[in-house]
This record gives sequence, C-alpha cells and structure tokens, in this order.
Amino acid sequence: MTKTWNDDNEDFWYSGKVTRRRLVGWGGGILGATMLVPAPWRAAFGAEKPFKVGSLQPLTGPAAPGGKTSIVGLQMAVDRINKTGGIHGRPVQLIIEDDESKPDVGRRKAQKLVEEDEVDVSCGGFLSNVCLACMPVWAQNKIVNMISVCLDTTITGSACNKYTFRPFDAAPAQAVAFGPELVKLGKKWHIVYADYSWGQSTRDAYAEGIKKHGGEVVGATGIPIGTADMTPFLSKITGNFDGLFGIFFGKDGVTLGNQAYDLGLTKKYKFAGDGAIAVPSNLPALGNKIEGFYGIDRYIPVFQGPLDNPYNRRFFAEAAKRLKTVAPQAPVPDRYVQSNYEAMNCLKLGMEKSGFTGRKDSNKLIAALEGLHMKLSDDFPQGDKFLRKEDHQAFLTEFIYQIKGGKYHLIEAVPADKTVYPSMCTMPA
Amino acid sequence: MTKRDTRSFWIGFAVIVALLAAAPLVLPPFWRHFVTEILIWGLLAMSSDLLIGYTGLISFGHSAFFGLGVYGAAAALLLVAPPNLFLAIALGLAAAALVAGFVAFFSTRLRDIYFAITTLIFSQIFYVIIFTWTSVTGGENGLTFTRPGLGVPGLYVVRFTPTTMHWFVLAVVALSYLVLRRITRSPFGMVLQAIRENEGRTRAIGYHVEHYKIVAVMLSGVFAGLAGVLYALQNEFAAADFVFFLVSGETVIYNVMGGIGTLVGPIVGAAFFLLLREALSRFFTEYYLIPLGVIFIAMVIFMPQGLLGFARRWLNR
Repeated sequence: MTKTWNDDNEDFWYSGKVTRRRLVGWGGGILGATMLVPAPWRAAFGAEKPFKVGSLQPLTGPAAPGGKTSIVGLQMAVDRINKTGGIHGRPVQLIIEDDESKPDVGRRKAQKLVEEDEVDVSCGGFLSNVCLACMPVWAQNKIVNMISVCLDTTITGSACNKYTFRPFDAAPAQAVAFGPELVKLGKKWHIVYADYSWGQSTRDAYAEGIKKHGGEVVGATGIPIGTADMTPFLSKITGNFDGLFGIFFGKDGVTLGNQAYDLGLTKKYKFAGDGAIAVPSNLPALGNKIEGFYGIDRYIPVFQGPLDNPYNRRFFAEAAKRLKTVAPQAPVPDRYVQSNYEAMNCLKLGMEKSGFTGRKDSNKLIAALEGLHMKLSDDFPQGDKFLRKEDHQAFLTEFIYQIKGGKYHLIEAVPADKTVYPSMCTMPA
Repeated sequence: MTKRDTRSFWIGFAVIVALLAAAPLVLPPFWRHFVTEILIWGLLAMSSDLLIGYTGLISFGHSAFFGLGVYGAAAALLLVAPPNLFLAIALGLAAAALVAGFVAFFSTRLRDIYFAITTLIFSQIFYVIIFTWTSVTGGENGLTFTRPGLGVPGLYVVRFTPTTMHWFVLAVVALSYLVLRRITRSPFGMVLQAIRENEGRTRAIGYHVEHYKIVAVMLSGVFAGLAGVLYALQNEFAAADFVFFLVSGETVIYNVMGGIGTLVGPIVGAAFFLLLREALSRFFTEYYLIPLGVIFIAMVIFMPQGLLGFARRWLNR
C-alpha cells in the first residue's frame, strides 16, 4: 500500500501501535506525573532540569511578521524534541525575548537571557544588525549562538567568532550556485539592490558569481530600503543587457516586482533575483506580475526534486497547520520556518554528540558542531548539509526555481558541495 | 535660592548619587546593567531638556547628536591602537558638536514646528548617510569594537568591570547635571528662558536671539553626544538605528513623562519609561506597546507637568 500525505503526517511524532494496554499504561503514568509535578515539561520529564534555550526574535517593529513565523519553526522543533524524549532525557525550555527589531534592545535582551534566565545556548536572531550587536554578548559569556535567520555575510566572515554558527546558507553560496544558471539565461545583467549593507554585500557576491561564469554586470542601481515608489530609480534602468537581477526582501520585494512589471522591465529583460523577493508571503501581493521570475532559495514549499521526500511532507504539514493562526494569508512554511526548525535541530544534534550538560560544556559543543554533517531526516527535511569548521558556515542544497502560474517550479537543485565559497573568517583567539 | 535650599539640594544630590553608586553592589547583573543604561538615556533626555524645557525648542535632532557621539567614539576606538578612552570621548564630542553646529546654523532661524521639522529632517539625512555608507559606517550592521581601559595608555590603565563602568557613567552624568544646572541658572540660561517665554521681546531688548539659540543647540548636542559616547563605551557597538528619529521621539517622551524644564525630570522620565517598558514586555510580550501607549496618554492628560511636577504638587499639598 502506498503511503499518503496524511499517513506521513500521523507518523511524525510516533510510529508505534496504540494498544489498549499501552493506552492504560500511558494514561496512568501521565495522571501520576501530573499529580506530582504540575509544570508541563515536568510531567513529561520528571525532575530533570530543562536545557534553557534563549531566542531573540522580533515580535514588534518592522521585522515582526518574519519573527512570528520564525517562532513557528523554532517551537515545532522544541515540541518535537520534548515529545521524543528531550536531549539526554532532559527537556528543552524555550525562552523567547522580543528584540523589537532594534539592536540596542536586542543587546539588552541578550544580557537578560544570559544573566537573568541563565540560558545554556542561544538559537535565534532575525535581523543581521541585531545578530551582530548581540554576538559579543554570547561570546563574552561563552554561550553557543546558533543563528536562525540573520543573513549578513560578515556574521561568518569578518565578524565571525568561536561561539557563533550559521546552519543555513549565505549570499556568496547562493551566488556560487546561481551563477551558471544566470549566465545561461543571459550574459549581461543589471543588478538592482536594496542600498544598505545586506543588499550591497549580496550585490558584490552575485556580481562575482556572474563574472566567474563568463557573464558581465553592466550596471547596478541601489534603492534605499522602504522606498514606496521605486519608479524614479527603475525608470532609469535602460540599455543593452539581458537580465535584471533584484536583491530585496519583505515589502520592498513586492514593490520591486510590481513596479518593474508596470514599467515593462520584466517583459523586456529576464527577471531573476534573490529568493527573498518571492517568498510565499509575498506571492499574493505580487499576483501575476511575478510570473516568469527566476529565483534561488534554500527552501521552497514544493514537493519536487529532492524536496519530494517524506520528511519534508511531514514538516510541511505540521508547519502549515501551525501557520494558519500566525500567517493566514500564506500558511505555507518558508525559509524562515525551515531555518529556525533546522537550527534548533542542529543544536540538538551537537548537544547529543558532545554530551552537553550546560554552559560549562560550550567548548565540547563547539567541537561537536564544527564540521558537523546533517543528513536528510525529520530533523533536517530540507536535505543534507554540513557546518564548515573554519567559519562555522553551513552549506546546503540550493533550489533554483521559476514562478509559473503563481507557483514555484523547481528548475535545479544545486548540491551543497557545489555552493562552497572560500572562508572569509579569521577566528579571533 | 536660600542657604537652606542650597544645603537641602546638596544633601539630596549626595543621597541620590550615593544610592546610585551602591546600586551595582546590590543589584543582580542584568539590573545593574539596566541602571547604567537608564543613566545614559537620562543624560540624553537631560541634554534635550536644555532645548525643550529651557529654550522652548522641540528638537527631533537629538538622535543625530547621540548617534554621532556613538560613531565618533567608535571611530577613535577602531582607528587608534591601543584604544584610548579620552580620545574616544574627545572624538565623540567633536563629532556631535560639529553636527550640532551644522544643524543649529540652519534650524535656529526657524521657530516652533518649523524648528522641530528641520531638526527631524537633518537627523534623517545623517541616518541615511550612515545607513548607506557601509564601507565607512558599517551601514545597517553597524560597528563593533573593544571597550578601552580606564586611564592613560602607556602610563596606567585598568580594565572596566560592570561596576566601575557604572561608576564612571554615574560620575559623568552627575557632573553633566551640575554643569547643565549651572548653565540654566547663569545669565545665559536666563536669556534662554526669556527666549522660551517671549522671543520677540527678548530680541527687542537687544539680545541676539539666533546666537543664543545656536549656542543652546550646540551645548545640548554636545551633552547628547556625551551620552552617545557613554553608550558606545558600555555596549561596544554602534548602529545606524541610534541616528534614526525614533530615538529623538523617545527622548521627547522621557521629557514629557518626567517633567520638562527640570533637568532631573527627564532622567526620572527615562527611568520610568524604560522600567515600564521592560516590565510590560515581560507580561504582554508583543502587545506591551498598547498598555505603554495608554499609560503615556493618561500621563499627558492627568500629569501634564510630568512625574516631577506631579510629585512637587503632591508634596506641596
């Protein structure tokens, strides 16, 4: 009998049979535990002290929508860890703090997590400026910091440190993966980018990726973030080139897609860009104006190619169920849900491997995480990946896709080893 | 001020400084850090009180002065090895003074809402420059650096601990308060208050109002820059967000909550606002801004003179 989607979903937490005897046994056990210790995690784990995982997320401010979906992934991973016996039999307690999308508040909250909550590890961070402001706090207190969304290249580059890890991709890896496909689409490109540090570093990475494969970047246009009317910038983009490459995220991605279409740029030129432009939450606002867009991302909500696996189906189903309350307009998991889910599981794997018992074992945990290989599984539904020892940067499969009929169509899955770029990190002593 | 008043003031001042000095010895680490931060934001609020409360100019440019103080200190700490505390302070103050002078030159020709809008626009111009000039300022990511030691490099340097950092900040803030108090009570301060009360009449009796306003903005900017330097020293990072106008907005809120035209009021306002925000965010997580906003509106309606004004009235009953 073939497995259906629902079958997979039911298998997600428990794969054994439910018999009457087991049911009575479980019921008795749970009842007894509940009577003895009221806290929910104690009911499951007796008197075991939980591992405290601190997480900085933007619950207010401009990045709040992304922060809320990120928590879905993180909470999913923690719930699953706790339901399957915790880590070394100890439950995981997630402590989330709102960084208000501001670096100064993020830093203060990181201090709180360290000094007041006494967290064992950190897993979170959405905006790169908040991540970068908080990295010294984790390092000074010798706490392993698993970044879950922050994208800036410098995190595992010039600002790298011993305690910070990024278990998902960075712009240079995407550029290495996308370069050959872009040059196949067209030799000459014009890059339009969000004019601030992330956009600028991503622009440089793609320009290098395009040039490396024989292409040429004939021009670049920077647009300040939050620009509601991009027409004055976009209308100046003319000339003899084949493709327009966009580097934007959030509502700026929607503005670019809509206004580039209205000005006829997406008809005249091939339109490609960073996957952040066409994340699932942006698609409803982009409508048919994003038709034909080529993008790259570490995760897209499809069951095609390597993503057509039972683990991803289970991950998708559970995430979609939870996202209905958080993001009802597009309740499908995106890269933020995926990277938070896998970041927590990456920590779990490292903690299990190293015999981590608390902050004092941070060095053991770091040794276990450096060079860690993660295999496609319920923990890592996106696919295989590894954490490079030199800069604590992960490399994973990249998905090149095109939007057709308002849906993602996978063109190519670039394996992790084909996305590697040279390390830019000099670990501080 | 009678002799008795003077003695009461100094006794009160000494008691408050002693209590603040003892705070890091009794408070848990997080709250120790928090009190130090309150002092820094309090200094920023106090600096803007010189304009809002004493000169009658509502400034939304204080984020630029504060931010330039942060970036000035950051530049000194990143470019000069070994990091030098006094150079960081000097460069931070110079950057803030330069920007304050520039803003003052153009904005003091205007009054009321036009002054407020001009300062707001200037702060946004500096924000955009810092945000996009990534190669120099680090852009959105900002800059991280190492805190210098306390002392003169090459002669005697001792590393800051959280407690000595707190005492250093307290000493600077207390000294700044005394200097600002002296300024507001000097003939110069009296002219500023005359400008606040009736600018036309002040001009009519022969004062060059624009010059006074320029000096007031520059002085205010220098103290805001000093707050920025202290923030950089305590937190070891600079971010473009510090130059964003929201910081100026919060500074005005500290003034309104604490009581404008009192110097101490803005520090009280900053403490009240920051503690309230911290407490509410623990209970209401992402919805904490709603009760915070309601409390602020209620305070504006029922305590228009701020916490200090309210306390004064209550004590005088």
